[in-house]
Amino acid sequence: MLNTMSFSAQIPLSLAASAVPAVECQGVTVRFTTERGTVTALENIDLTVPQGSFLSLLGPSGCGKSTLLRVVADLIAPTSGIVRVNGEAPEVARQNREIGFVFQDAALLPWRTALENVLLPLEVGGGARRSNNRDPRELLALVGLSGWEDAYPHELSGGMRQRVSIARALVSGPKLLLMDEPFGALDEITRDRLNEELLQVWESTGTTILFVTHSIYEAAFLGQEVLLLAARPGRVRELVDVNLPSPRRLPQRETAEFVELAGHLRRVLETC
Amino acid sequence: MSQSTLSPGVTPVSFGGAFANDESERARFVSAQRRLAWRKRLLPVVAIAGLIALWGAVVAIFDVQPFIAPSPWAVASVLVEKADILLANLVPTATEALLGFLLGNLVAIVIATAFVYSKAAEEAFFPVAVMINTIPVVAKAPILVLLLGNGMEPKIAIAALICFFPTLVNMTRGLRDVNPQALELMKVLSASPREIFWKLRVRNSLPYLFSALKIAASMSVIGAIVGEWIGSTSGIGALIIQATYNFDSPLLYATIVVGSTFSAVFFSVISMLERRLLKWNTARAN
Repeated sequence: MLNTMSFSAQIPLSLAASAVPAVECQGVTVRFTTERGTVTALENIDLTVPQGSFLSLLGPSGCGKSTLLRVVADLIAPTSGIVRVNGEAPEVARQNREIGFVFQDAALLPWRTALENVLLPLEVGGGARRSNNRDPRELLALVGLSGWEDAYPHELSGGMRQRVSIARALVSGPKLLLMDEPFGALDEITRDRLNEELLQVWESTGTTILFVTHSIYEAAFLGQEVLLLAARPGRVRELVDVNLPSPRRLPQRETAEFVELAGHLRRVLETC
Repeated sequence: MSQSTLSPGVTPVSFGGAFANDESERARFVSAQRRLAWRKRLLPVVAIAGLIALWGAVVAIFDVQPFIAPSPWAVASVLVEKADILLANLVPTATEALLGFLLGNLVAIVIATAFVYSKAAEEAFFPVAVMINTIPVVAKAPILVLLLGNGMEPKIAIAALICFFPTLVNMTRGLRDVNPQALELMKVLSASPREIFWKLRVRNSLPYLFSALKIAASMSVIGAIVGEWIGSTSGIGALIIQATYNFDSPLLYATIVVGSTFSAVFFSVISMLERRLLKWNTARAN
Protein backbone atom coordinates (compact mmCIF):
# COMPACT_ATOMS: atom_id res chain seq x y z
CA MET A 1 0.00 0.00 0.00
CA LEU A 2 2.92 2.29 0.63
CA ASN A 3 3.99 2.04 -2.98
CA THR A 4 0.81 3.62 -4.22
CA MET A 5 1.94 6.97 -2.90
CA SER A 6 3.26 8.32 -6.13
CA PHE A 7 1.77 11.27 -7.87
CA SER A 8 2.98 14.59 -9.06
CA ALA A 9 2.44 17.46 -6.67
CA GLN A 10 0.78 20.55 -7.98
CA ILE A 11 1.90 23.28 -5.67
CA PRO A 12 1.28 26.76 -6.97
CA LEU A 13 4.69 28.39 -7.09
CA SER A 14 3.38 31.75 -5.99
CA LEU A 15 2.17 30.13 -2.80
CA ALA A 16 5.43 28.38 -1.97
CA ALA A 17 7.31 31.62 -2.40
CA SER A 18 4.76 33.76 -0.62
CA ALA A 19 5.66 35.21 2.73
CA VAL A 20 2.06 35.20 3.96
CA PRO A 21 1.87 32.67 6.80
CA ALA A 22 -0.62 29.80 6.44
CA VAL A 23 -2.02 30.55 9.89
CA GLU A 24 -1.56 33.56 12.09
CA CYS A 25 -3.09 33.99 15.53
CA GLN A 26 -2.73 37.14 17.61
CA GLY A 27 -3.99 37.19 21.17
CA VAL A 28 -6.68 34.60 20.48
CA THR A 29 -8.90 34.00 23.48
CA VAL A 30 -11.93 31.72 23.59
CA ARG A 31 -14.34 31.63 26.51
CA PHE A 32 -17.40 29.45 26.92
CA THR A 33 -20.18 30.15 29.37
CA THR A 34 -21.64 27.05 30.93
CA GLU A 35 -23.88 26.32 33.92
CA ARG A 36 -20.82 26.13 36.14
CA GLY A 37 -19.50 29.47 34.99
CA THR A 38 -17.15 30.78 32.36
CA VAL A 39 -14.43 28.49 31.06
CA THR A 40 -11.42 29.94 29.33
CA ALA A 41 -10.57 27.38 26.67
CA LEU A 42 -7.80 29.41 25.10
CA GLU A 43 -6.00 32.41 26.52
CA ASN A 44 -3.97 34.86 24.49
CA ILE A 45 -2.61 32.49 21.84
CA ASP A 46 0.01 33.92 19.51
CA LEU A 47 1.03 31.64 16.69
CA THR A 48 2.51 31.85 13.21
CA VAL A 49 2.53 28.79 10.97
CA PRO A 50 4.58 29.19 7.76
CA GLN A 51 3.28 27.91 4.44
CA GLY A 52 3.95 24.25 3.78
CA SER A 53 4.98 23.40 7.32
CA PHE A 54 3.78 20.64 9.61
CA LEU A 55 2.90 21.72 13.14
CA SER A 56 1.90 19.30 15.87
CA LEU A 57 -0.33 20.58 18.66
CA LEU A 58 0.32 18.61 21.83
CA GLY A 59 -1.14 18.99 25.27
CA PRO A 60 -3.17 17.36 28.03
CA SER A 61 -6.92 17.04 27.59
CA GLY A 62 -8.66 20.31 28.25
CA CYS A 63 -5.79 22.39 26.91
CA GLY A 64 -7.94 23.66 24.06
CA LYS A 65 -6.00 22.15 21.15
CA SER A 66 -9.18 21.06 19.39
CA THR A 67 -10.71 24.45 20.12
CA LEU A 68 -7.72 26.16 18.49
CA LEU A 69 -8.18 24.01 15.39
CA ARG A 70 -11.87 24.93 15.28
CA VAL A 71 -11.10 28.62 15.60
CA VAL A 72 -8.77 28.36 12.60
CA ALA A 73 -11.45 26.43 10.66
CA ASP A 74 -14.07 29.09 11.43
CA LEU A 75 -16.16 26.58 13.37
CA ILE A 76 -15.78 28.63 16.57
CA ALA A 77 -15.49 32.41 16.68
CA PRO A 78 -12.80 33.62 19.09
CA THR A 79 -13.98 35.77 21.98
CA SER A 80 -11.13 38.15 21.21
CA GLY A 81 -8.00 38.24 19.09
CA ILE A 82 -7.24 38.00 15.40
CA VAL A 83 -6.98 34.89 13.26
CA ARG A 84 -5.71 34.88 9.67
CA VAL A 85 -5.59 31.96 7.28
CA ASN A 86 -3.42 32.64 4.23
CA GLY A 87 -3.73 36.31 5.12
CA GLU A 88 -7.54 36.25 5.06
CA ALA A 89 -10.26 35.92 7.65
CA PRO A 90 -10.94 32.20 8.41
CA GLU A 91 -14.46 32.65 7.03
CA VAL A 92 -13.11 33.73 3.65
CA ALA A 93 -10.55 30.92 3.61
CA ARG A 94 -13.30 28.42 4.44
CA GLN A 95 -15.56 29.72 1.69
CA ASN A 96 -12.67 29.55 -0.78
CA ARG A 97 -12.08 25.92 0.20
CA GLU A 98 -8.59 26.62 1.43
CA ILE A 99 -9.18 24.53 4.55
CA GLY A 100 -9.53 20.76 4.82
CA PHE A 101 -10.59 19.21 8.12
CA VAL A 102 -10.05 15.64 9.29
CA PHE A 103 -12.17 14.67 12.28
CA GLN A 104 -11.40 12.31 15.10
CA ASP A 105 -14.04 9.71 14.17
CA ALA A 106 -13.61 10.08 10.38
CA ALA A 107 -17.21 11.39 10.16
CA LEU A 108 -17.96 9.49 6.97
CA LEU A 109 -21.58 9.46 5.87
CA PRO A 110 -22.58 5.79 6.33
CA TRP A 111 -24.97 5.79 3.35
CA ARG A 112 -22.22 6.79 0.95
CA THR A 113 -19.52 4.56 -0.47
CA ALA A 114 -15.88 5.50 -0.02
CA LEU A 115 -15.83 7.25 -3.40
CA GLU A 116 -19.13 9.04 -2.77
CA ASN A 117 -17.79 10.26 0.57
CA VAL A 118 -14.72 11.70 -1.14
CA LEU A 119 -17.04 13.34 -3.68
CA LEU A 120 -19.14 15.10 -1.01
CA PRO A 121 -17.06 18.32 -0.90
CA LEU A 122 -17.59 18.68 -4.66
CA GLU A 123 -21.37 18.38 -4.28
CA VAL A 124 -21.98 21.00 -1.61
CA GLY A 125 -21.08 24.63 -1.00
CA GLY A 126 -20.38 25.26 -4.68
CA GLY A 127 -17.46 22.83 -4.47
CA ALA A 128 -17.80 21.63 -8.07
CA ARG A 129 -16.79 25.02 -9.48
CA ARG A 130 -13.37 25.20 -7.82
CA SER A 131 -10.30 25.03 -9.98
CA ASN A 132 -8.16 23.29 -7.37
CA ASN A 133 -10.33 20.17 -7.28
CA ARG A 134 -8.51 16.88 -7.54
CA ASP A 135 -9.49 13.54 -8.98
CA PRO A 136 -11.25 11.58 -6.18
CA ARG A 137 -10.12 8.19 -7.52
CA GLU A 138 -6.55 9.39 -7.65
CA LEU A 139 -6.81 10.55 -4.04
CA LEU A 140 -8.21 7.22 -2.90
CA ALA A 141 -5.23 5.61 -4.60
CA LEU A 142 -2.95 8.11 -2.85
CA VAL A 143 -4.24 6.95 0.54
CA GLY A 144 -3.87 3.30 -0.50
CA LEU A 145 -7.51 2.50 -1.14
CA SER A 146 -7.64 1.64 -4.84
CA GLY A 147 -10.20 -1.10 -5.29
CA TRP A 148 -12.25 0.00 -2.28
CA GLU A 149 -14.15 2.81 -4.04
CA ASP A 150 -17.53 1.07 -3.77
CA ALA A 151 -17.18 -0.15 -0.17
CA TYR A 152 -19.46 1.36 2.45
CA PRO A 153 -17.91 2.74 5.67
CA HIS A 154 -19.21 -0.20 7.72
CA GLU A 155 -17.21 -2.51 5.46
CA LEU A 156 -13.98 -0.62 6.17
CA SER A 157 -11.68 -0.86 9.17
CA GLY A 158 -11.09 2.18 11.38
CA GLY A 159 -7.80 2.95 9.66
CA MET A 160 -9.36 2.71 6.21
CA ARG A 161 -12.21 4.99 7.21
CA GLN A 162 -9.70 7.58 8.34
CA ARG A 163 -7.84 7.22 5.01
CA VAL A 164 -11.11 7.95 3.19
CA SER A 165 -11.64 11.01 5.34
CA ILE A 166 -8.11 12.24 4.51
CA ALA A 167 -8.85 11.79 0.80
CA ARG A 168 -12.10 13.72 1.30
CA ALA A 169 -10.27 16.57 3.04
CA LEU A 170 -7.81 16.78 0.13
CA VAL A 171 -10.33 16.68 -2.73
CA SER A 172 -10.82 20.45 -2.86
CA GLY A 173 -7.06 20.93 -2.99
CA PRO A 174 -6.82 22.84 0.32
CA LYS A 175 -3.72 24.80 1.23
CA LEU A 176 -4.27 24.04 4.90
CA LEU A 177 -5.15 20.69 6.41
CA LEU A 178 -6.45 20.65 9.99
CA MET A 179 -6.38 17.27 11.69
CA ASP A 180 -8.08 16.69 15.04
CA GLU A 181 -6.60 13.57 16.65
CA PRO A 182 -7.32 11.63 13.47
CA PHE A 183 -5.51 8.46 14.52
CA GLY A 184 -6.41 8.58 18.23
CA ALA A 185 -8.86 5.68 18.05
CA LEU A 186 -6.64 3.39 15.98
CA ASP A 187 -4.41 0.55 17.11
CA GLU A 188 -0.73 1.36 17.37
CA ILE A 189 0.43 -0.53 14.28
CA THR A 190 -2.19 1.11 12.06
CA ARG A 191 -1.39 4.47 13.62
CA ASP A 192 2.33 4.08 12.90
CA ARG A 193 1.67 3.16 9.30
CA LEU A 194 -0.74 6.05 8.81
CA ASN A 195 1.76 8.43 10.40
CA GLU A 196 4.36 7.51 7.84
CA GLU A 197 1.86 7.67 4.99
CA LEU A 198 0.58 11.04 6.15
CA LEU A 199 4.11 12.43 5.91
CA GLN A 200 4.27 11.19 2.33
CA VAL A 201 0.94 12.83 1.55
CA TRP A 202 2.25 16.02 3.10
CA GLU A 203 5.48 15.87 1.08
CA SER A 204 3.64 15.20 -2.16
CA THR A 205 0.90 17.82 -1.75
CA GLY A 206 2.83 20.63 -0.08
CA THR A 207 -0.19 21.32 2.12
CA THR A 208 0.32 23.02 5.47
CA ILE A 209 -0.79 20.67 8.24
CA LEU A 210 -1.90 21.42 11.79
CA PHE A 211 -2.11 18.14 13.64
CA VAL A 212 -3.71 17.81 17.06
CA THR A 213 -2.67 14.79 19.11
CA HIS A 214 -2.10 13.71 22.67
CA SER A 215 0.57 11.24 21.72
CA ILE A 216 4.09 12.50 22.34
CA TYR A 217 5.61 10.14 19.79
CA GLU A 218 3.12 11.07 17.11
CA ALA A 219 3.64 14.78 17.71
CA ALA A 220 7.43 14.49 17.56
CA PHE A 221 7.54 12.09 14.63
CA LEU A 222 5.20 14.13 12.43
CA GLY A 223 5.84 17.76 13.24
CA GLN A 224 8.56 20.08 12.12
CA GLU A 225 7.61 21.91 15.26
CA VAL A 226 5.59 20.86 18.28
CA LEU A 227 3.41 23.44 19.98
CA LEU A 228 2.96 22.44 23.61
CA LEU A 229 -0.20 23.75 25.19
CA ALA A 230 -0.95 23.91 28.90
CA ALA A 231 -4.44 23.39 30.29
CA ARG A 232 -6.88 25.52 32.27
CA PRO A 233 -6.67 27.99 30.70
CA GLY A 234 -5.33 26.72 27.39
CA ARG A 235 -2.16 28.63 26.61
CA VAL A 236 1.10 28.19 24.73
CA ARG A 237 3.64 26.51 26.92
CA GLU A 238 6.52 26.02 24.54
CA LEU A 239 7.21 25.80 20.82
CA VAL A 240 9.69 22.96 20.32
CA ASP A 241 11.70 22.71 17.14
CA VAL A 242 12.00 19.12 15.88
CA ASN A 243 15.41 18.67 14.30
CA LEU A 244 15.03 15.30 12.69
CA PRO A 245 16.28 14.57 9.18
CA SER A 246 13.64 14.12 6.52
CA PRO A 247 12.18 12.14 4.94
CA ARG A 248 11.17 10.69 8.26
CA ARG A 249 10.74 6.97 8.59
CA LEU A 250 9.55 4.96 11.57
CA PRO A 251 12.99 3.54 12.64
CA GLN A 252 14.06 7.12 13.36
CA ARG A 253 11.98 6.96 16.47
CA GLU A 254 14.65 4.73 17.99
CA THR A 255 17.49 7.21 17.48
CA ALA A 256 19.02 8.95 20.49
CA GLU A 257 17.88 12.36 19.20
CA PHE A 258 14.28 11.25 18.99
CA VAL A 259 14.30 9.63 22.42
CA GLU A 260 15.81 12.77 23.91
CA LEU A 261 13.22 14.96 22.20
CA ALA A 262 10.35 12.76 23.38
CA GLY A 263 11.78 12.87 26.88
CA HIS A 264 11.89 16.65 26.80
CA LEU A 265 8.28 16.84 25.56
CA ARG A 266 7.19 14.46 28.30
CA ARG A 267 8.90 16.48 31.03
CA VAL A 268 7.31 19.71 29.83
CA LEU A 269 3.95 18.00 29.45
CA GLU A 270 4.08 16.80 33.05
CA THR A 271 4.15 20.40 34.23
CA CYS A 272 1.30 21.50 31.95
CA MET B 1 -5.55 -3.31 7.67
CA SER B 2 -7.51 -4.93 4.89
CA GLN B 3 -9.66 -7.18 7.04
CA SER B 4 -13.34 -6.58 6.81
CA THR B 5 -16.23 -8.68 7.97
CA LEU B 6 -18.69 -9.34 5.20
CA SER B 7 -22.13 -10.24 6.35
CA PRO B 8 -24.50 -12.21 4.11
CA GLY B 9 -26.56 -10.12 1.79
CA VAL B 10 -23.83 -7.55 1.27
CA THR B 11 -23.21 -6.99 -2.40
CA PRO B 12 -19.72 -8.14 -3.11
CA VAL B 13 -17.46 -5.27 -4.01
CA SER B 14 -14.01 -5.58 -5.40
CA PHE B 15 -11.80 -5.73 -2.38
CA GLY B 16 -8.54 -5.46 -4.24
CA GLY B 17 -7.36 -8.97 -3.43
CA ALA B 18 -7.97 -8.54 0.26
CA PHE B 19 -9.48 -12.01 0.54
CA ALA B 20 -7.75 -15.30 -0.13
CA ASN B 21 -9.31 -17.39 -2.88
CA ASP B 22 -10.26 -20.46 -0.92
CA GLU B 23 -13.09 -21.77 -3.08
CA SER B 24 -14.12 -24.84 -1.06
CA GLU B 25 -14.19 -22.92 2.22
CA ARG B 26 -16.24 -20.22 0.56
CA ALA B 27 -18.68 -22.72 -0.93
CA ARG B 28 -19.20 -24.27 2.50
CA PHE B 29 -19.83 -20.84 4.00
CA VAL B 30 -22.34 -19.95 1.28
CA SER B 31 -24.28 -23.21 1.64
CA ALA B 32 -24.41 -22.78 5.42
CA GLN B 33 -25.79 -19.29 4.91
CA ARG B 34 -28.38 -20.63 2.47
CA ARG B 35 -29.49 -23.27 4.98
CA LEU B 36 -29.95 -20.58 7.63
CA ALA B 37 -31.97 -18.44 5.21
CA TRP B 38 -34.30 -21.34 4.39
CA ARG B 39 -34.74 -22.16 8.04
CA LYS B 40 -35.71 -18.54 8.66
CA ARG B 41 -38.36 -18.78 5.95
CA LEU B 42 -39.70 -22.26 6.77
CA LEU B 43 -39.91 -22.15 10.56
CA PRO B 44 -42.70 -19.52 10.73
CA VAL B 45 -44.69 -21.47 8.11
CA VAL B 46 -44.33 -24.65 10.15
CA ALA B 47 -45.30 -22.81 13.35
CA ILE B 48 -48.42 -21.27 11.79
CA ALA B 49 -49.49 -24.60 10.24
CA GLY B 50 -49.01 -26.25 13.63
CA LEU B 51 -51.15 -23.67 15.41
CA ILE B 52 -53.95 -24.02 12.85
CA ALA B 53 -53.85 -27.79 13.24
CA LEU B 54 -54.01 -27.39 17.04
CA TRP B 55 -56.97 -25.04 16.68
CA GLY B 56 -58.77 -27.55 14.44
CA ALA B 57 -58.03 -30.36 16.89
CA VAL B 58 -59.36 -28.39 19.89
CA VAL B 59 -62.59 -27.50 18.06
CA ALA B 60 -63.11 -31.11 16.99
CA ILE B 61 -62.17 -32.80 20.30
CA PHE B 62 -64.19 -30.50 22.58
CA ASP B 63 -67.03 -30.22 20.06
CA VAL B 64 -67.07 -26.41 20.18
CA GLN B 65 -70.23 -24.86 18.71
CA PRO B 66 -69.59 -23.16 15.33
CA PHE B 67 -70.98 -19.79 16.53
CA ILE B 68 -68.54 -19.77 19.45
CA ALA B 69 -65.47 -20.74 17.44
CA PRO B 70 -65.45 -22.13 13.92
CA SER B 71 -63.11 -24.83 12.72
CA PRO B 72 -60.27 -23.74 10.44
CA TRP B 73 -61.93 -25.65 7.59
CA ALA B 74 -65.18 -23.70 8.00
CA VAL B 75 -63.19 -20.47 7.86
CA ALA B 76 -61.31 -21.68 4.80
CA SER B 77 -64.48 -22.56 2.96
CA VAL B 78 -66.00 -19.12 3.74
CA LEU B 79 -62.79 -17.55 2.44
CA VAL B 80 -63.36 -19.36 -0.86
CA GLU B 81 -67.16 -19.08 -1.12
CA LYS B 82 -67.45 -15.46 -0.07
CA ALA B 83 -64.25 -14.26 -1.67
CA ASP B 84 -66.13 -11.67 -3.73
CA ILE B 85 -67.85 -10.14 -0.68
CA LEU B 86 -64.64 -10.17 1.33
CA LEU B 87 -62.61 -8.51 -1.41
CA ALA B 88 -65.34 -5.96 -2.13
CA ASN B 89 -65.18 -4.97 1.53
CA LEU B 90 -61.41 -4.95 1.59
CA VAL B 91 -61.25 -2.26 -1.12
CA PRO B 92 -62.68 0.62 0.97
CA THR B 93 -60.68 -0.41 4.05
CA ALA B 94 -57.46 -0.67 2.06
CA THR B 95 -58.11 2.70 0.40
CA GLU B 96 -58.76 4.37 3.75
CA ALA B 97 -55.70 2.75 5.30
CA LEU B 98 -53.41 3.75 2.43
CA LEU B 99 -54.70 7.31 2.21
CA GLY B 100 -54.53 7.66 6.00
CA PHE B 101 -51.01 6.24 5.96
CA LEU B 102 -49.89 8.74 3.33
CA LEU B 103 -51.61 11.69 4.98
CA GLY B 104 -50.52 10.90 8.55
CA ASN B 105 -46.91 10.27 7.62
CA LEU B 106 -46.67 13.26 5.33
CA VAL B 107 -47.99 15.62 8.02
CA ALA B 108 -45.72 13.99 10.61
CA ILE B 109 -42.66 14.46 8.38
CA VAL B 110 -43.51 18.11 7.72
CA ILE B 111 -44.06 18.83 11.42
CA ALA B 112 -40.90 16.94 12.40
CA THR B 113 -38.97 19.14 9.97
CA ALA B 114 -40.51 22.22 11.57
CA PHE B 115 -39.57 20.91 15.03
CA VAL B 116 -35.95 20.42 14.00
CA TYR B 117 -35.64 24.00 12.77
CA SER B 118 -37.72 25.61 15.51
CA LYS B 119 -37.29 24.50 19.09
CA ALA B 120 -40.15 26.85 20.02
CA ALA B 121 -42.53 25.01 17.67
CA GLU B 122 -41.57 21.72 19.29
CA GLU B 123 -41.99 23.07 22.81
CA ALA B 124 -45.44 24.41 21.89
CA PHE B 125 -46.86 21.55 19.87
CA PHE B 126 -45.18 18.35 21.03
CA PRO B 127 -47.27 18.20 24.24
CA VAL B 128 -50.39 18.67 22.07
CA ALA B 129 -49.33 15.75 19.91
CA VAL B 130 -48.77 13.63 23.01
CA MET B 131 -52.24 14.55 24.33
CA ILE B 132 -53.95 13.62 21.07
CA ASN B 133 -52.01 10.38 21.07
CA THR B 134 -53.30 9.48 24.54
CA ILE B 135 -56.93 9.50 23.33
CA PRO B 136 -57.87 5.87 22.61
CA VAL B 137 -58.71 5.11 18.97
CA VAL B 138 -62.20 3.92 19.90
CA ALA B 139 -62.82 7.33 21.48
CA LYS B 140 -61.36 9.25 18.54
CA ALA B 141 -63.59 7.41 16.07
CA PRO B 142 -67.01 8.77 17.16
CA ILE B 143 -65.60 12.29 17.49
CA LEU B 144 -64.26 12.20 13.95
CA VAL B 145 -67.43 10.64 12.54
CA LEU B 146 -69.39 13.51 14.10
CA LEU B 147 -66.95 16.03 12.68
CA LEU B 148 -66.38 14.56 9.23
CA GLY B 149 -69.61 12.70 8.42
CA ASN B 150 -70.17 9.12 7.48
CA GLY B 151 -68.01 8.78 4.36
CA MET B 152 -64.40 7.70 4.01
CA GLU B 153 -63.04 10.93 5.51
CA PRO B 154 -63.31 10.04 9.21
CA LYS B 155 -61.73 6.63 8.58
CA ILE B 156 -58.86 8.20 6.69
CA ALA B 157 -58.48 10.71 9.51
CA ILE B 158 -58.33 7.96 12.14
CA ALA B 159 -55.78 5.96 10.15
CA ALA B 160 -53.76 9.15 9.68
CA LEU B 161 -53.89 10.05 13.38
CA ILE B 162 -52.72 6.59 14.35
CA CYS B 163 -49.73 6.75 11.95
CA PHE B 164 -48.88 10.29 12.86
CA PHE B 165 -47.34 9.91 16.29
CA PRO B 166 -44.70 7.19 15.80
CA THR B 167 -43.52 8.90 12.64
CA LEU B 168 -43.39 12.32 14.30
CA VAL B 169 -41.26 11.03 17.17
CA ASN B 170 -38.92 8.96 15.01
CA MET B 171 -38.56 11.50 12.25
CA THR B 172 -37.77 14.33 14.67
CA ARG B 173 -35.09 12.19 16.20
CA GLY B 174 -33.71 11.05 12.85
CA LEU B 175 -33.46 14.58 11.49
CA ARG B 176 -31.88 15.86 14.67
CA ASP B 177 -29.49 13.10 15.76
CA VAL B 178 -26.89 13.79 13.12
CA ASN B 179 -23.24 13.07 13.89
CA PRO B 180 -22.02 16.46 15.23
CA GLN B 181 -18.72 16.05 13.37
CA ALA B 182 -20.66 15.53 10.12
CA LEU B 183 -22.41 18.84 10.83
CA GLU B 184 -19.05 20.51 11.43
CA LEU B 185 -17.82 18.99 8.19
CA MET B 186 -20.76 20.52 6.32
CA LYS B 187 -19.90 23.88 7.84
CA VAL B 188 -16.24 23.59 6.85
CA LEU B 189 -17.51 22.83 3.34
CA SER B 190 -19.71 25.97 3.46
CA ALA B 191 -22.77 23.83 2.68
CA SER B 192 -26.06 25.71 2.45
CA PRO B 193 -28.89 24.92 4.91
CA ARG B 194 -30.72 23.24 2.03
CA GLU B 195 -27.73 21.00 1.29
CA ILE B 196 -27.36 20.14 4.98
CA PHE B 197 -31.04 19.22 5.09
CA TRP B 198 -31.14 17.00 1.98
CA LYS B 199 -27.66 15.52 2.01
CA LEU B 200 -27.28 15.01 5.75
CA ARG B 201 -30.46 15.28 7.83
CA VAL B 202 -32.90 13.58 5.47
CA ARG B 203 -30.51 10.74 4.65
CA ASN B 204 -29.76 10.31 8.34
CA SER B 205 -33.47 10.15 9.19
CA LEU B 206 -34.41 7.42 6.70
CA PRO B 207 -33.66 4.42 8.95
CA TYR B 208 -35.68 6.09 11.73
CA LEU B 209 -38.48 6.89 9.29
CA PHE B 210 -38.71 3.32 8.05
CA SER B 211 -38.91 1.96 11.60
CA ALA B 212 -41.93 4.22 12.07
CA LEU B 213 -43.44 3.39 8.68
CA LYS B 214 -43.37 -0.32 9.49
CA ILE B 215 -45.37 0.35 12.65
CA ALA B 216 -47.65 2.74 10.77
CA ALA B 217 -48.38 0.23 7.99
CA SER B 218 -50.23 -2.16 10.28
CA MET B 219 -51.57 0.57 12.55
CA SER B 220 -53.24 2.38 9.64
CA VAL B 221 -55.26 -0.75 8.78
CA ILE B 222 -56.35 -1.06 12.40
CA GLY B 223 -57.35 2.61 12.36
CA ALA B 224 -59.47 2.21 9.23
CA ILE B 225 -61.19 -0.90 10.62
CA VAL B 226 -62.00 0.76 13.95
CA GLY B 227 -63.33 3.78 12.02
CA GLU B 228 -65.69 1.49 10.14
CA TRP B 229 -67.22 0.17 13.35
CA ILE B 230 -69.26 3.30 13.69
CA GLY B 231 -72.17 3.59 11.27
CA SER B 232 -70.43 2.14 8.25
CA THR B 233 -72.07 -0.18 5.72
CA SER B 234 -69.02 -1.40 3.91
CA GLY B 235 -65.45 -2.29 4.74
CA ILE B 236 -63.70 -4.94 6.82
CA GLY B 237 -64.77 -3.16 10.02
CA ALA B 238 -68.44 -3.11 9.00
CA LEU B 239 -68.22 -6.77 8.03
CA ILE B 240 -66.76 -7.63 11.43
CA ILE B 241 -69.67 -5.91 13.21
CA GLN B 242 -72.22 -7.54 10.90
CA ALA B 243 -70.78 -11.04 11.30
CA THR B 244 -70.64 -10.63 15.08
CA TYR B 245 -74.31 -9.58 15.32
CA ASN B 246 -75.33 -12.52 13.13
CA PHE B 247 -73.28 -15.00 15.14
CA ASP B 248 -71.63 -15.84 11.81
CA SER B 249 -68.28 -16.65 13.33
CA PRO B 250 -66.79 -18.35 10.24
CA LEU B 251 -67.37 -15.07 8.33
CA LEU B 252 -65.98 -13.08 11.27
CA TYR B 253 -62.80 -15.12 11.28
CA ALA B 254 -62.52 -15.01 7.50
CA THR B 255 -62.85 -11.21 7.61
CA ILE B 256 -60.08 -11.01 10.18
CA VAL B 257 -57.88 -13.23 8.01
CA VAL B 258 -58.42 -10.92 5.03
CA GLY B 259 -57.71 -7.78 7.07
CA SER B 260 -54.58 -9.27 8.65
CA THR B 261 -53.30 -10.55 5.33
CA PHE B 262 -53.62 -7.09 3.87
CA SER B 263 -51.77 -5.65 6.89
CA ALA B 264 -49.01 -8.19 6.49
CA VAL B 265 -48.64 -7.48 2.78
CA PHE B 266 -48.52 -3.74 3.47
CA PHE B 267 -45.84 -4.32 6.12
CA SER B 268 -43.82 -6.51 3.75
CA VAL B 269 -43.93 -3.91 0.99
CA ILE B 270 -42.53 -1.29 3.38
CA SER B 271 -39.85 -3.72 4.60
CA MET B 272 -38.90 -4.49 1.02
CA LEU B 273 -38.66 -0.79 0.20
CA GLU B 274 -36.48 -0.34 3.26
CA ARG B 275 -34.12 -3.12 2.23
CA ARG B 276 -33.88 -1.71 -1.26
CA LEU B 277 -33.41 1.95 -0.31
CA LEU B 278 -31.30 1.45 2.80
CA LYS B 279 -28.92 -1.27 1.69
CA TRP B 280 -26.10 0.36 3.60
CA ASN B 281 -28.11 0.31 6.81
CA THR B 282 -29.58 -3.19 6.68
CA ALA B 283 -26.16 -4.59 5.85
CA ARG B 284 -24.70 -2.69 8.79
CA ALA B 285 -27.41 -3.91 11.15
CA ASN B 286 -26.72 -7.54 10.24
